[in-house]
Amino acid sequence: MNVIELTEKLGLTPLSTFEDRPIKGVFVSDMVSDVMTGAKTGNLWLTIQTHKSIVSTANLADVAAVVITSNKVVPQETVELASKYNIAILACKMPTYELAVKLFSLGLGQ
Amino acid sequence: MSECQHQWEMSNIHYGFVAFEKCYHCNTLKTFFSVEDFPVLGDEYREGDHFWNRVENAQSFQFDLRCSRCDKLVKMSEMMGLFQCTSCMPDCPVEILQKEYESERTWLMVAFGFLPEAVSAPIPLDKLDILSEYFNQRRDTSRSRIKIVPFNFIKDLARCKGVFLHDIGMLSREAPLEERKQLF
Repeated sequence: MNVIELTEKLGLTPLSTFEDRPIKGVFVSDMVSDVMTGAKTGNLWLTIQTHKSIVSTANLADVAAVVITSNKVVPQETVELASKYNIAILACKMPTYELAVKLFSLGLGQ
Repeated sequence: MSECQHQWEMSNIHYGFVAFEKCYHCNTLKTFFSVEDFPVLGDEYREGDHFWNRVENAQSFQFDLRCSRCDKLVKMSEMMGLFQCTSCMPDCPVEILQKEYESERTWLMVAFGFLPEAVSAPIPLDKLDILSEYFNQRRDTSRSRIKIVPFNFIKDLARCKGVFLHDIGMLSREAPLEERKQLF
């Protein structure tokens, strides 16, 4: 499944400009050090963090998209930096666990 | 010369903190990696002419790189962290280089060593090339690549607004949602 298709299926809100790409698995963490060591290329990264360092981390780990859960407000500077690096930032009203359950049911949990 | 086509992986990972200390006498900044369980802020002590004060702790990790094919180990213990340019100074060599690399879809990251030692002895370029190779081996390089350069490329560190990849300043004062739906 690609990022745009997932966005439409789950009603996520794209905040940055990005290139569509396939999603390969899901990684859940609110620590950038954890993502740097554990996330894999193409993962969908679920977090409540909105600081602009998530963009740099997403870029380094080459994740497919970052989903900001729990209806958190994402600062404009984070969105602008993400657009610069074509990193998809998607806003989600659901808490992380609820989203993770839905992703699993869509076959993205592995 | 080794003929191994190295396949790098992280090894010897230690989680801890990057501690930032400032001398309130001369404003020198000192950083080091700490594995304290409970790092404290405001810790003060005297060392020669310096009066060090702990001003920040950033949750971080240290690692080495090991080749899974030939077992070669590259120690990365002198690395404090990575940093991404935010194009804050158009005449900064990092930004100029970033613009050059953008057409090749290569993103620049800046590697910092611990201060003050790194000012006179930055992390060697061959190590940074290995680090770039490691991150590129982890990613889909048909889409983009990573190039890591030393921090002494930055024109004016005092004015630089780049982003550190540290767990710092990540706290939120945002209130939780008023109501959350029960899942089960």
